[in-house]
Amino acid sequence: MTLATPPVGEPRHRRGSPRGTGAFDRSRRRLYLPFVVPALVLYLAFVIGPTLAALWISFHRWDGVSDMRWNGLDNYSALFDDPTFRTALANTLIILVVAGAAIFAISFVLTMIVREMRGRSFIRSVLFFPHIVSAIVLSIVWGFIFEHNGTVNTILSTVFGTEPIPWLNADNLFLMILIGTVWISTGLYVTIILAAVDRIPRYFYEEALLAGANAYQRLRFVTLPLSWDVISVAAIFWTISSLKIFEFIYAFGGTTNDMPPPAVWNSALFVYGESFGGRSPSYLFGYASASAILMLVLFTALIVVLRRLLRRDSIEF
Amino acid sequence: MNSENSIAQTGVLQPHSDPAVVRGGRDRRPSGGQSPRVRTTRADPIRTLGRVLVWAFVTFNLLVFAFLILSSFKTTTDIFRAPWGIPGSLNFANWTNAWNESGFARATLNTAGLALGASFCTLAVSAPAAYVLSRIRTRSAGPLSVFFALGLGIPAQVTVIPLFEMMSRVGLVNSLLGLFIIYTATHVPFTVFLLTGFMRSLPREIEEAAAIDGASPFRSFWQVMLPLARSGLVTVLILNIISMWNETLLGIVFLQTVEKYTVSLALLNFLSSMQFSGADYGGLFAGVCILVLPMLALYLWLWRRIIEGITLGAGK
Repeated sequence: MTLATPPVGEPRHRRGSPRGTGAFDRSRRRLYLPFVVPALVLYLAFVIGPTLAALWISFHRWDGVSDMRWNGLDNYSALFDDPTFRTALANTLIILVVAGAAIFAISFVLTMIVREMRGRSFIRSVLFFPHIVSAIVLSIVWGFIFEHNGTVNTILSTVFGTEPIPWLNADNLFLMILIGTVWISTGLYVTIILAAVDRIPRYFYEEALLAGANAYQRLRFVTLPLSWDVISVAAIFWTISSLKIFEFIYAFGGTTNDMPPPAVWNSALFVYGESFGGRSPSYLFGYASASAILMLVLFTALIVVLRRLLRRDSIEF
Repeated sequence: MNSENSIAQTGVLQPHSDPAVVRGGRDRRPSGGQSPRVRTTRADPIRTLGRVLVWAFVTFNLLVFAFLILSSFKTTTDIFRAPWGIPGSLNFANWTNAWNESGFARATLNTAGLALGASFCTLAVSAPAAYVLSRIRTRSAGPLSVFFALGLGIPAQVTVIPLFEMMSRVGLVNSLLGLFIIYTATHVPFTVFLLTGFMRSLPREIEEAAAIDGASPFRSFWQVMLPLARSGLVTVLILNIISMWNETLLGIVFLQTVEKYTVSLALLNFLSSMQFSGADYGGLFAGVCILVLPMLALYLWLWRRIIEGITLGAGK
């Protein structure tokens, strides 16, 4: 049907293009479908289709083997009575908000410092590196450092003679996951913000200095407004990636061959734990799908709200 | 007119195409009158404290990776007795054990094949789509680009159960081919999204010249656009290789037998087997290094591309 539109589209095609390209444009339109369809088919079949299927499954009771049984919204109402899900929901949101706030605050401060330093290219590469390392590895290392007889306790006891601190007991485990998440994500956001700040022409800062602006005022009136576009995209990017966090929590503290304790689960672990995961998987496909869909809807709403909140008139410079 | 002068200078010094090239802070300001003013703000203690913190962070990351590599050559008792000691001799036993007995050799082969093959396939499918979406003006091109971008927001935990059901109906569960197809398809949205933005930013003039010379649109795509977009194609290829190499959730659901494991699954498997066979941290860290070192090598080689690609994605 897209091919049927040219009579309308043709006359107002590109300004200033040489006449000879009209025929070229017309025959290029013939490439449109063959070029776009393979990607579209894969995308529909393996991403969009399964998402809709998950929505369908979420209205059923199903273990993947026997027949699906319709049970309407029961899965969803059961979720809210399930303390495990409520914990997973809270954890996901805590990661989003608390870790997110820490990541952006720290990244901003680091960016402001790093951009004036010698060797910033090297610093940025090192800070960024965790982003391309498997989160499982980072999780193992993070756990190892804070083990009972791990690095941190060893250093503390030799320097201060303190007793080993139980970093990884049930009370502290999620906190350590939060801090670990901040550790592995900060470098990425430093890199993104640094790239945005680098695009700000130098003379804005010089003008600000001449006008007697202090460091805070330069941040508030030059850096923030002029890098706002990128920061708002980065905030949405963080929202999306925070929902996807799985490996770091899954492998954390782990020498067991089971799931981590439910107290540290987030949404992704909840889905996995209620379907395929654990020593004896529960195969609650309908229930797990309901939680996944619920989180997807919640995060979609959050992103819409976030976009509204972060929208500013973009400044050309 | 002084400010005009600095506009011109910064204009030259800010190649907006590649922020990564702006190096070392030496480009900061034109050597002009006001520089002493700037310098006075640099000595304050807060700034010094900040620098110390940055270097502490950098040192921490470097130490962590040094620790990984050192530990992979040590025995477990050595790791706990002297975590930061240099291993007395280069002890390759951990590596050979991990490689030969814990299945990391097979896993490395599996993962490398998957990541390379699937990322090339993703590129082959996505580059044409990105080309027409960025160049042809039809009513559907805009909405379709947005539709592809929506896929970036759908996490694997939403699709994994239906995908499992789909693949088990066609007998592609516990199959590297099945995972290959899934990796290829699930990376399409990101690849189309990144490449559409990239190709849109490329000049049209060369293609128009080719059209006047009588090149067919397909030839123009193949011989003009693809070479022109090469850096974008390479960047997205590498980003996909990294993402597939490290992928775990889909792998852990779809692969069930040890000889099909990817490296991350082999590592998780090793981690859980330590509960029965005793803590072998030397072996664990050798496995960790097998997972990390290929990515480290890729990073050392192409860090600028990788960083550029990621910031490009966010800059759109």
